[in-house]
Amino acid sequence: MTTPIAKTVTTPATPVDQSLLYPSPYKEFWQAFSRNKGAVAGLMFMCLIVFCALFAPWVAPHNPSEQYRDFLLTPPVWLEGGNWQFILGTDELGRDLLSRLITGARLSLLIGLSSVLISLIPGVFLGLLAGFFPRILGPSIMRLMDVMLALPSLLLAVAIVAILGPGLINTVIAIAIVSLPSYVRLTRAAVMGELNRDYVTAARLAGAGLPRLMFVTVLPNCMAPLIVQATLSFSSAILDAAALGFLGLGVQPPTPEWGTMLASARDYIERAWWVVSLPGLTILLSVLAINLMGDGLRDALDPKLKNAA
Amino acid sequence: MSLLQIKNLNVRFGDANAVPVVDGLDLNVNEGEVLAIVGESGSGKSVTMMALMGLIDAPGRITADALSFDGNDMLKLSGRQRRKVVGKDMAMVFQDPMTALNPSYTVGFQIEEVLRQHLGLRGKAARQRALELLKKVEIPAAESRLDAYPHQLSGGMSQRVAIAMAIAGEPKLLIADEPTTALDVTIQAQIMELLLNLQKEQNMALILITHDLAVVAETAKRVCVMYAGQAVEVGQVPELFDLPAHPYSEALLAAIPEHSEGAERLATLPGIVPGRYDRPEGCLLSPRCPYVQDNCRRQRPSLDPQAHSQVRCFYPLNQEVA
Amino acid sequence: MTVVLTARELTRHYEVSRGLFKGHALVRALNGVSFELEAGKTLAVVGESGCGKSTLARALTLIEEPSSGSLKIAGHEVAGANKAERKQLRKDVQMVFQSPYASLNPRQKIGDQLAEPLLINTNLSKAERREKVQAMMQQVGLRPEHYQRYPHMFSGGQRQRIALARAMMLQPKVLVADEPTSALDVSIQAQVLNLFMDLQKEFNTAYVFISHNLAVVRHVADQVLVMYLGRPAEMGPKEDIYNKPLHPYTQALLSATPTIHPDPLKPKIKIAGELPNPLNPPPGCAFHKRCPYATERCATEEPAFRQVGTRQVACHYAEQFL
Repeated sequence: MTTPIAKTVTTPATPVDQSLLYPSPYKEFWQAFSRNKGAVAGLMFMCLIVFCALFAPWVAPHNPSEQYRDFLLTPPVWLEGGNWQFILGTDELGRDLLSRLITGARLSLLIGLSSVLISLIPGVFLGLLAGFFPRILGPSIMRLMDVMLALPSLLLAVAIVAILGPGLINTVIAIAIVSLPSYVRLTRAAVMGELNRDYVTAARLAGAGLPRLMFVTVLPNCMAPLIVQATLSFSSAILDAAALGFLGLGVQPPTPEWGTMLASARDYIERAWWVVSLPGLTILLSVLAINLMGDGLRDALDPKLKNAA
Repeated sequence: MSLLQIKNLNVRFGDANAVPVVDGLDLNVNEGEVLAIVGESGSGKSVTMMALMGLIDAPGRITADALSFDGNDMLKLSGRQRRKVVGKDMAMVFQDPMTALNPSYTVGFQIEEVLRQHLGLRGKAARQRALELLKKVEIPAAESRLDAYPHQLSGGMSQRVAIAMAIAGEPKLLIADEPTTALDVTIQAQIMELLLNLQKEQNMALILITHDLAVVAETAKRVCVMYAGQAVEVGQVPELFDLPAHPYSEALLAAIPEHSEGAERLATLPGIVPGRYDRPEGCLLSPRCPYVQDNCRRQRPSLDPQAHSQVRCFYPLNQEVA
Repeated sequence: MTVVLTARELTRHYEVSRGLFKGHALVRALNGVSFELEAGKTLAVVGESGCGKSTLARALTLIEEPSSGSLKIAGHEVAGANKAERKQLRKDVQMVFQSPYASLNPRQKIGDQLAEPLLINTNLSKAERREKVQAMMQQVGLRPEHYQRYPHMFSGGQRQRIALARAMMLQPKVLVADEPTSALDVSIQAQVLNLFMDLQKEFNTAYVFISHNLAVVRHVADQVLVMYLGRPAEMGPKEDIYNKPLHPYTQALLSATPTIHPDPLKPKIKIAGELPNPLNPPPGCAFHKRCPYATERCATEEPAFRQVGTRQVACHYAEQFL
């Protein structure tokens, strides 16, 4: 004879609650990120660069602007004629290359960070507007962005700097304007994808007004592609600044900036290759590191959002 | 000789210590038989069939004492040999017809692709046969549908096309993985009837994977109930539904609204299916079973495939204790 | 008993462009639905895809404006309400969605999501909000620690509980549940349905329960409304509809629903074909092309939704089925 099943209470009585066994979102993110060896290597290199930038006056062996007239174009220490006083050699005006590279890190990071911020914030805002008002405001914003995207970014940057004049701030503004359209597009695409989801409808039903819907409900769910794009723009900002500097339109000498260092050393490629190659190598490694980090970020962030346990 | 023999199938994702998604499954299917595999999410029912067809990629690992279909040892087949069997003698129909068809190609092209691959038909002969198949699955205006794209078809129509593709190779075994879950009730009835008619006509074995016990009661002859990767009961329909022997089968039946007998609340088992972190040492149902005894928590009961009624329980219900 | 929801001839039309040179077509997604709902009672809306139940849900929750017809929530007319009045009305109607995976904000802690309706609509202090949230969480079977967790850390059944808790935070007079258990396993479905019934008793909420699962509907409903192609086919008390369906479509739906103990003597009503194209509905009765009893009158004259006994039916020959 079967004993009837007791009509039990609804409360699930799991002995070990599954949801409490999950690590916190930050730990989950770090676990996913650290699985990507390239990303971790990139992160470590960037930490080195940031360290140099923050502590440049104490880390750099010499004053980057000081010219040692007796040591013009000294080769790096591992070559013949090298000198332990100038580990990476000196440039055409006798300035220590290592110190200039370390100090140059400051500027490159500053340019990267500020241009990203200046283009991210308006870009995200415009993208939100375009996504939430798809009938009139949206298409107008997107057509404007299409026009901006139609022009080659470097030419556009050159044109802007030519109008505003060379210098650090104008370089940053030019780079920011040029990166704006990609943020607007990304945000708008992500917003349009999220607007159809039930949780947005639920927030509307709860009475959420437009500002709350935009910034509290939808925006946090669009962050993943934006974060990845921000890291990648960081690296292209460094490249753009270097290009502008190379063309003489960016930061002006004697301020050490990796791109301007490249430009002023053009004539010495054959005689003293290190004056050109070392700044170039630094740019390459930094951009590579940031891109690897961006890859790792994307892999760590995207599947998490779509993952249901 | 059974058409399909599965002995001690284990599927794990990860290394050898990972929790098995399918745990020691034994199953036999004879020619022309209709077997239903029933279970909730996490029971491993779909993964079993994917393992059988060789659709599990690394890091999934499959081990089994025997996994044979129509005399072929499925574990030892090379890629080329497997492609000869899968899709021809063994075919599958999936749950969501809208995603099972390639949206970029016409229906006719996709059916002809199967015919070309497995029967070597080409050109006019292939088109003719594709038309016959569409008529067989009762698609109205079949001639014009050959050139239609999947997005132009409704859910029911798409599922019929998927079935047409599956039977194109005249399979000996058709596996239907929740074929009607995404469809409306009247369309579901039509599709189930179609499947059963085709099964009888072509003497195919049919494995129906579903979580809907009512569909099983109306279509299958034998049913295997799975829980957390194990088969907990295998029995005949309707005997298993009238007198379930395993507490989980009983709980599943009791939870169906049909069986509420007018009571305000539905009978439920507390808790949820064990996940990765809390697999019990003893019987997998022991944390939730209303009839649990001490030794249930310490030892795992086994399922004897030779016994008349196969129950994975130390104290099966409705049974005389020997 | 107080009437909390009154719908009169609710209609919703969409204009669909048919390309560059053709004019606009009119899709009558919802075509004249009327009902009255009392506090603490459940009206089940049943129908297959394309019948207009999702459109009805959106109209009832004020997400979309009906093209015509009147809707009264707790006596207040919705049409012509200004923004402030709408905000008030919003508090009285809430919704639970079908997919437990899409209805919660993945980037917000569930405690914050539960507190959000209170934050927007009331002047409670942070501590008071938290207290209310914890009380509701306990009522739906969640633990206090869950406040800090994100949705992806919960199972499907738990997420539906959270969604239900969120909908009930403002103690609405009407709760629209759009297929709330269709995506859940049978045993989890039982738990969630029990929770629905408990909360209804506690808060005396009226439910509009949309589902295509007739077995579930039989368990929860007081009144049943069957819809076909945007129009009501039959509406009445649950037991009358299930024991003696008058509309042929209702009969077909009930017949097509599989049961655990199929009655071999009961004939299966088979209806052929599929839902007609909503852009091009058939003349006369929308169901006549698939109805086994259709006559010439059905093909030309649209049946009125009229009272027959204890219920309302839209069929010329309803009396013949009594």
